Amino acid sequence: MSAFKHHDMLPTPSHDEQARQDFVASMRGHLSGRLMPGAYQLYERRVAPALRAELGRDPDEAEVRRAMTREPFYQFWSAMQRRSQEMLWESVIDPTERELPSLIDRAKSRAKPVVKPQQAQKAQKASKHPRALRRRRRGSLRLDPSLPLPRYHAAVDIHLQPGGYHTDSTADDVAAGVIYDKGLDLYMGGALGAENGLMGDTLVAYIKERHPTLRPRRILDMGCAIGNSTVVWARAFPQAEVHGIDVGAPVLRYAHARAEGFGVPVHFSQQNAEGTDFEPGSFDLVVSHIMLHETSKPALQRIFAECRRLLRPGGLMLHLEIPRGHTVFEQFMHNWESYNNNETFSRYMTHIDLAAEAVKGGFARSKVRVDEFAMQMSVAQMNYAENFIWKILAAER
Amino acid sequence: MARRKAPTPVRLPRVARGKKPQYFSDPAIDKLLWMTMTLMEELSVARDRIDTLERVLDAHGVLRQKHIEGYKPDAKARSARATRRADFVDRMMRAAQAELSASSDAADPHEEARRAVEG
Repeated sequence: MSAFKHHDMLPTPSHDEQARQDFVASMRGHLSGRLMPGAYQLYERRVAPALRAELGRDPDEAEVRRAMTREPFYQFWSAMQRRSQEMLWESVIDPTERELPSLIDRAKSRAKPVVKPQQAQKAQKASKHPRALRRRRRGSLRLDPSLPLPRYHAAVDIHLQPGGYHTDSTADDVAAGVIYDKGLDLYMGGALGAENGLMGDTLVAYIKERHPTLRPRRILDMGCAIGNSTVVWARAFPQAEVHGIDVGAPVLRYAHARAEGFGVPVHFSQQNAEGTDFEPGSFDLVVSHIMLHETSKPALQRIFAECRRLLRPGGLMLHLEIPRGHTVFEQFMHNWESYNNNETFSRYMTHIDLAAEAVKGGFARSKVRVDEFAMQMSVAQMNYAENFIWKILAAER
Repeated sequence: MARRKAPTPVRLPRVARGKKPQYFSDPAIDKLLWMTMTLMEELSVARDRIDTLERVLDAHGVLRQKHIEGYKPDAKARSARATRRADFVDRMMRAAQAELSASSDAADPHEEARRAVEG
């Protein structure tokens, strides 16, 4: 069972819509937990020995792919995994579409001040804790309709989410955010927790372990989407001013409404991580969570250079990434997402040295490291990986 | 009084941009698997709905779930079910039946039809 907590920026599914989401969760649990390990067995027992005999050496990833995609078992698992991903989105889109006008109204009402000045005066007189009311900090939302969408972002719909993170189907649309939030929970088999916060939690745990004295006053979360990790940072460092940027307008509208609903102040703005309008040296900490593998090779360097520009001297850059596998077969399995789930750039990440890219972006070699960092995860959300240990790129300015 | 026009409902996209991979040597198999999984989903939905129905009826004292589990159809019910099942199987298997009956025809019925329409 997922620990995911329903909140009022999400639609309430009908009986049958809920049953569809439940089916998708069960189906994906079976595909990952029961069928997917069969691909590893098939490879070790039959495909790998045959390839070694034929080639007289260990196969590379392309040779593994050619051999595996001819295997009926792999074809079957792979086709079902793909269809389950499509069904996942369908099961979330139906209730979202039905409730969309009301969801948009809810988002708009969140964007307004919670308490009007006259009401605040009245409430202050009546309340036993008037200072708590005055102190409620608010976040903000700044959209830029003229911002060009990067081609790597818009050429295909990443993860097969129809319309991606960026398509507005109506004025003030929040659908992409709503769909992403519930879809992410289903995709990860509930592993990301009550507020889809596990990735933020992971980086916060990493900081507390490796940089226990760091007290950031200004934090930027790049490629924040619905702000599920951004909210974690704002909660972990309540004295800090926290910003989240993304190129997608509907996910940002949703992120803002969601964070305000949680009472967590975050400043969201529609910006590209390759070049922002923030002042140089204005952040103590710049982070991202599984954003890099959805960008491009030229974008990586520009993003790292922008991080360096934004950090004050001594400031810290942290990027959480998906592991790409240690063996050729693990790499092939991780890259299932790239070939089958519209994550075009992720397969190139297998052989990219992130530390070297950060150095090209201007960081000193001695201040850059790539760490592996484990967080407890259950089997159900592995999808295609036997071992799931996050990769973290860390660099100090 | 002018009736307020209901807003046009927004249609959200249902298909992701990007080419769909082909998994099997015959693309028809891809489509069949696609349909099979959708049918699995809808069957699961129907089972959940029946389960809800039984539980709600039980909770309201309309019927007891144990009465459903312990239900023994009488001869009339068994016969009606057998007829319905046979009809269901007939309809499902018509695809194969049609092929069988076509191949058992001595003459080509299309040839006969062509002669008939040409006069």
